[in-house]
Amino acid sequence: MGNFFSSMFDRLWGVNKELRILILGLDGAGKTTILYRLQIGEVVTTKPTIGFNVETLSYKNLKLNVWDLGGQTSIRPYWRCYYADTAAVIFVVDSTDKDRMATAAKELHLMLQEEELQDSALLVFANKQDQPGALTASEVSKELNLVELKDRSWSIVASSAVKGEGITEGLDWLIDVVKEEQL
Amino acid sequence: MSTHTYKKFENAGSGDLPDRMTIYQDCMSEFNESPVNPKRCRLLISRLLRLLAEGETFPENEATALFFSISKLFQHPNDSLRQSVYLAIKALSSISEDVLMATSSIMKDVQNGSDLVKPNAIRALTTVLDESTAFSAERLLKSAVVNKHPSISSAALTSSYHLLPIAEATAKRFVNETQEAVMDLKPFPHRNVVGDYYPNSTFITQYHALGLLYQLKKSDKMALLKLIRQFSDNNTLKSQLAKVGLVKLVSELVTRDAQLFSSFQPLLNNWLSNKYESVQLETAKLITNFAIQHPHLVSAELHASAVTTLQSLLTVPRVSARFAALRILNRVSMVSPEKIVVCNPELESLINDPNRNISTYAITTLLKTGTESNISSLISTITKFIHEVSDDFKIIIVDAIRTLSINFPQEWMAILNFLIDVLKNGEGGLKFKNNIVEALIDMVSFVPQAKDLALENLCDFIEDCEFNEILVRILHLLGKEGPSTATPSLYVRHIYNRVVLENSIIRSAAVVALSKFALTKNDPTLGESIVSLLRRIANDQDDEVRDRATIALKFIESAKKEENPEAREFVQSRYSYDLPSLESKLSSYISSNADSFQTPFDVTNIRKYTEDEAKAIELKKKQEQLLKGHLENGSESTPGLEEGSKGEKRDSSYAGPSLDEHQEDLRSTKYAEELLSMEQIKEFGPLVNSSRTIDLTDPEAEFVVRGVKHLFNNHAVLQFNITNTLTDIALDNVTVTCTPENPSESSLEELFSLSIDRLSPSQEAACYVAYNKSEEIVMEGFLNNLTFTTRELDPETQQPLDDTEGFQDEFDIDSIFLNAGDYIKSSFVGDFTNAFDELPNEEVAVYNIKENITLQELVDRLVVNTSCLPLESTQYAPSDSSSHTVKLFGKSALKGEKIALVVKLIKTSKGIAMKAQGRSEDATLCSYLVNGLM
Ligand SMILES: Nc1nc2c(ncn2[C@@H]2O[C@H](COP(=O)(O)OP(=O)(O)O)[C@@H](O)[C@H]2O)c(=O)[nH]1
Ligand SMILES: [Mg+2]
Repeated sequence: MGNFFSSMFDRLWGVNKELRILILGLDGAGKTTILYRLQIGEVVTTKPTIGFNVETLSYKNLKLNVWDLGGQTSIRPYWRCYYADTAAVIFVVDSTDKDRMATAAKELHLMLQEEELQDSALLVFANKQDQPGALTASEVSKELNLVELKDRSWSIVASSAVKGEGITEGLDWLIDVVKEEQL
Repeated sequence: MSTHTYKKFENAGSGDLPDRMTIYQDCMSEFNESPVNPKRCRLLISRLLRLLAEGETFPENEATALFFSISKLFQHPNDSLRQSVYLAIKALSSISEDVLMATSSIMKDVQNGSDLVKPNAIRALTTVLDESTAFSAERLLKSAVVNKHPSISSAALTSSYHLLPIAEATAKRFVNETQEAVMDLKPFPHRNVVGDYYPNSTFITQYHALGLLYQLKKSDKMALLKLIRQFSDNNTLKSQLAKVGLVKLVSELVTRDAQLFSSFQPLLNNWLSNKYESVQLETAKLITNFAIQHPHLVSAELHASAVTTLQSLLTVPRVSARFAALRILNRVSMVSPEKIVVCNPELESLINDPNRNISTYAITTLLKTGTESNISSLISTITKFIHEVSDDFKIIIVDAIRTLSINFPQEWMAILNFLIDVLKNGEGGLKFKNNIVEALIDMVSFVPQAKDLALENLCDFIEDCEFNEILVRILHLLGKEGPSTATPSLYVRHIYNRVVLENSIIRSAAVVALSKFALTKNDPTLGESIVSLLRRIANDQDDEVRDRATIALKFIESAKKEENPEAREFVQSRYSYDLPSLESKLSSYISSNADSFQTPFDVTNIRKYTEDEAKAIELKKKQEQLLKGHLENGSESTPGLEEGSKGEKRDSSYAGPSLDEHQEDLRSTKYAEELLSMEQIKEFGPLVNSSRTIDLTDPEAEFVVRGVKHLFNNHAVLQFNITNTLTDIALDNVTVTCTPENPSESSLEELFSLSIDRLSPSQEAACYVAYNKSEEIVMEGFLNNLTFTTRELDPETQQPLDDTEGFQDEFDIDSIFLNAGDYIKSSFVGDFTNAFDELPNEEVAVYNIKENITLQELVDRLVVNTSCLPLESTQYAPSDSSSHTVKLFGKSALKGEKIALVVKLIKTSKGIAMKAQGRSEDATLCSYLVNGLM
């Protein structure tokens, strides 16, 4: 079944078609860690991202073109330069950083208003679940006011990038939605 | 995109530039495409780069859009595409905004990229970093510096060099890695890609590492000395360029501290026989240049070895080495020609070198090493040669001959014949002919014996000359010089021919020249013929010619009838104005236009020169140009030295001012104008004389002070120009106090002193102290003290911090002396010996100078101290002789009495014996000057 599905997808989109995915979120949320966890399956030591990292990876016979954009205040204004042709956005939240939940919510909603992202699916990672005192996924969802989102496929998944938990589950959901929507 | 344009610039040979807008749009659409097509993107980037390389540029918003779309190409892993992307990033980073967005992606390549893209990534990295992001690249760059791959290491080293101005603190921490990179031999090219292009591998990273290491340590003299010891001792340095770099480093150090030179002599001697020609050349250059600045610090043997090395390089097969050696010898020849006379045989055979640059240089060098005995034979060699070379070389040769005419006035016959020959027979353009005419004008002005013959030949020349510019100059010269010759009517005939035959520009010039003959004393009948000629011309068809003739007639008439001195001035003026100050006054008069030009322009405050003064100024300029042209070339090899300090170094060898003559002129004009515009000083009447600028502090002091002495009929004013070199301190209430050396005996009475309210960082301003003085010559020394209140400034606003009071401080500056020389102006006389013999009032004084200085230094000092003009080339003391005679001529700035000095110098083991013999129309001045030379 899965095989049939993907081969049909290939036929429709051409084998070379890549899916463009953006990873956004405040600085220190774990975006870069998630990107490389996806690409090489390991935890790398990171430094604050000045600009962006971009990697191409294969996931379930699909070519994903994943952009991890830096989250510092000075870099957020440039996110919009990379919005075009984006199939999906992964928004990463540090679940232990209660002080900046409001900021995260503001940036998220600001981004989703952009014309170019109207058709993109949204996956939120409530990251750093391995840490004591982390808010649960539903608590994060409330803080981010996700219920308000209309006309958009979205989901929130509890994750730990360092332990590798939740990441594939989240991505599986995202791929399914994207395939469905593109069909 | 139109296919038409695509075709057009796809054709590589077409040379057409792609259209900027087309490229922009193509880039924007192609680079945002997904998936990326690397081949097409590379092609587009190369077009974009070509456009930028041709000087085309993009407005900031477009450049930024391009930059961002190019940054998206990081998604594709193709190495060749990546290399193009880096080239584009480097090219765009200076014209677009927000380039920091590429930082992380570049750093990833620096860390994990292939060896192929790593160097590109490293070089691009510094163009996007700023002070705040540099530290995150620190570890990456450090490890790239010590990378085993030469291209990666070199890229990191050169990039760190460029990082210095951006993030000095970060780059300064690379010292250990850089040191390691010098020691670690990395053959380049990597992995034996030796082919035709690289016959041998080099160790170029050493050169890059040494360069960076110098930058990192350059303010620490001890560290640099250690560095030289370390890298010169054993055979650490394998790179030829690195070795040359080390020589340059020594050069830099001895320029900063001349006393170090002696400790380097063995090393330099060693380098003179290094296996690389470039090292030999650089070392010889260092030694000979240093010897010009500090003759007594270089041993005669070392200098001779340097010359021998250069001499043998004159015969090597490589053209560039021959040329370089010749160029250095040429410099030496300007100051110490006797030291390279040994090279004359080689130089003579280079006259026939197939490379014309070399043959021309050989000739000009020979002209300087030439002695009275071989000048004329040299000139005849050149006469044969000159018609075969191109205009450019002809001009160089003519200029060399031109200086000869000033240095060897006794050879005037041979020189004049040469010039006349090339003028009449030489084919050539305006510039060439003009230079010959200039040379002849020099001879007319400065070599009286040659005057008549030169003028006659210029007359012949204008009978058949196609260049208006030259004709006009010659006509002017004839008007100026002709009336005082033995046969003025001869010139009148030639000039009048021009009126009959030439166009209106030349006719106008001829009219003015003619009118100058109207008041000739030698030939009173001439006046009448001039008047009748002018009457005839007053009917010319051209307005300008008619006007000039009419006004000339009016002047001549009133000059004759009423003995009207003003009209006489207009016909044949005895003065010329100081042109820079006339120009600046006129332009401010025109631009201010206060009352629609109701008030006439006031010329009284503009300095005027009599003919001998003007000639003295011009000759001095020529003398110093010779030296300066030489010294400027000489110090070009010193890296990292600022313009200012270069000037100061020159200062120590020639005790004149630090700036070149022209700037000194402008500066003294500016100073005089500032001074005379002050109310208190206007009352002192006209300015009689101003000294040159004198350094009163170390040129590297925190506060640099320069002094100027101004004389008025009944007053003297000392001017102190203070420069605040600090960046964060302002000085308030800056005052100079001057105390006469013998307060009880001083005949000067202080009137007032003007201070500076605030001197901001890197500003220059002046304090003045004014004195009452009798009309006589008053001499005095002053001890000077600078006082001020320091105020710390807020680095943001550059305003003083409120909470700081500032504190009083003082600063000692050198004494200033008002001496006999300040009452003298340079003056030119054609026949010195005759002039000296005719003057009354002789005074003789003998000095014994114990100080360890060379004859040349003493001569320089005499020229400055006396303010006189050295004549007959006596301003050069030959370094191979122990005696020398200087001839100086000047006149009193107060009343114009002439003064001539003959100073004989003999150098012995005990010092220098000096006998000065002076003659003047003013006995007091003469006695003061002769007895106050040192
Ligand atoms: N405990 C914990 N730490 C994490 C997790 N994900 C990321 N981090 C750490 O958070 C810091 C910032 O991560 P980074 O990926 O650079 O964040 P970015 O700024 O969003 O790219 C790093 O020290 C990571 O090791 C996680 O799930 N659990
Ligand atoms: Mg990051």
